[in-house]
Amino acid sequence: MSLPAVEVKNLTKVFTLGLKKEYVVAIDNLSFEVKAGEVYGLIGPNGSGKSTTMKVVLGLMAPSKGEAKVFGLDSGDIRARNEIGFLPENPYFYKHLSGAETLRFYGKLCGMRGRELENRVTELLKLVDLEGAANRRLGVYSKGMLQRIGLAQSLVQNPRLVILDEPTAGVDPIGSRQIRDLILHLRDQGYTVFLCSHLLEQVQEVCDRVGILFQGRMRREGRLEELISIEDQTTLTLEGASPELLASLHELVASDPDARLVAEGHPRTSLEHLFIQIAERNRQASK
Amino acid sequence: MNVESSAPTPPLRAAARPVPLFSPGRVATIATGTVTQLVRMKTFYFLLAFALVVVAVGNFNLPATPAKELSMIKKVSFGTMDLFAWLFAIVATALLIPRDQEDRTLYTILSKPVRRVEYLLGKLCGVLFVVGISLVIMYGICATMIGARESLFISAEIEAMTAGGRYSQEEIDEQVGLIRQQGLRPELGFAVLASFLKASVVAAVTIFLSTFASSSLFTIIVSILIFLIGHAHTMASGFWLHSSDNSLFVQMLVKVVKILIPDFQLYSFSEGIVQGEAVALALVGQMGLVTAGYLVVFLLLSLLVFVDKEF
Repeated sequence: MSLPAVEVKNLTKVFTLGLKKEYVVAIDNLSFEVKAGEVYGLIGPNGSGKSTTMKVVLGLMAPSKGEAKVFGLDSGDIRARNEIGFLPENPYFYKHLSGAETLRFYGKLCGMRGRELENRVTELLKLVDLEGAANRRLGVYSKGMLQRIGLAQSLVQNPRLVILDEPTAGVDPIGSRQIRDLILHLRDQGYTVFLCSHLLEQVQEVCDRVGILFQGRMRREGRLEELISIEDQTTLTLEGASPELLASLHELVASDPDARLVAEGHPRTSLEHLFIQIAERNRQASK
Repeated sequence: MNVESSAPTPPLRAAARPVPLFSPGRVATIATGTVTQLVRMKTFYFLLAFALVVVAVGNFNLPATPAKELSMIKKVSFGTMDLFAWLFAIVATALLIPRDQEDRTLYTILSKPVRRVEYLLGKLCGVLFVVGISLVIMYGICATMIGARESLFISAEIEAMTAGGRYSQEEIDEQVGLIRQQGLRPELGFAVLASFLKASVVAAVTIFLSTFASSSLFTIIVSILIFLIGHAHTMASGFWLHSSDNSLFVQMLVKVVKILIPDFQLYSFSEGIVQGEAVALALVGQMGLVTAGYLVVFLLLSLLVFVDKEF
């Protein structure tokens, strides 16, 4: 059995505030695992401890108690960082560098050089659709472009684990969809993705498993379908059903003493889907 | 996004690259990034201001002998060069680490396999490279101006002394020698080196402060204070320690200050060089060693704070 990508055991993180020696428990005895190859979402409100958990996993913070491991290596071990690609929330890279220079900079930090690095930069710029803006300085990039170059830098050394902190924060729906597609693509490629978000719809669309964090404690954890399915209810979505067929269905339901019709109506698309459809249509028309 | 057309290399590889204990390559990458950052922040514009000062001083006709005038031009030019070097070292260094932290660029750098010592060393090397290049350019400007004025003074002096036929060749040579002594001499390079060594120590002190300071402004102000105290503390400590009515507390305080604050007066030997005095190579070597010692101490102190710092 392969090692878990992330293994957090009894993790506690306590912060001391000021000189008054006031203590704040940011994470309280937290344990969870992210299996290799899955997309794991850690969700929770602001201040629930998501970012602190990520920082401990990244080795940017030391645990007060407990441990965090990345592919079996202690998160404080520098070798663990070779396995991780990280995209922080609202990333700000060096504005004076162009997109390609940014990727080269981070690639070199990971020990890449020469042809290997150049090929990787070209490959990643293509992946995140920024080939046209490769030589433009990041100071003129839009928020969505910054997020995409951030994703590219997180993948530069081809890590096994990608950690994304609010990957679509502040990005418009189209950019958000692109990032979501990329996350799914990464999963298909065998990457492990560990993301933190409070955009629940997005987490629902991409995650295999989720953990719900509240006040530093894990409240629920499990496979997404198991967590969100209502076991004793069933949804049927019919297309082209005649009034007669619907009437028959009503009669059938009424004849069963245990069954009850809870809701009926026309399914609605989400505003996001509608927006993307319109944008896509306009883009096709303008071509 | 081209998720279909461009797939990254499959991630299921055996093991990650080994991470060396210390990588000069990563230090060089951070240093190069720092140089690029400082250059693109247009910090070299201050060289224009320096050139203006030198040109203004060089063209100012002082009511003095040519040798004294050259000496004055050198003093002002090298003094300005020294001021620009240490001030630039403080401001540039103070802006780098806090800005990386505020912009969260530090998160992305430290989440790569980069040791904190490599990050600090890279930043320091980057700043020192820019300070070094700036000093070379400033010296070039100074040398051009001093050389031009020297030639002008010599030809004017020779012309004036030979015109009346009242002076012998020996007297003319002596006069020319006096001007040359205050002119462009290879020893002036040691004065530039002294400015560089001093700026290096200031940069190392600033790096140390910026590892725990909460803002760039605080770092800049405290660094300037340390620099100023560093020029006076030998004199001040001598005065206090030899004074009869000093308390134990004052004595301890003075000793602590003496240990913690570098003695920048050590680098004042450059003033003698600028005034045309000879310099002993041993002294220059000694200064190099003292500077290396200060750099090691302040880097170790910085590392002590930075290595366990949480972001």
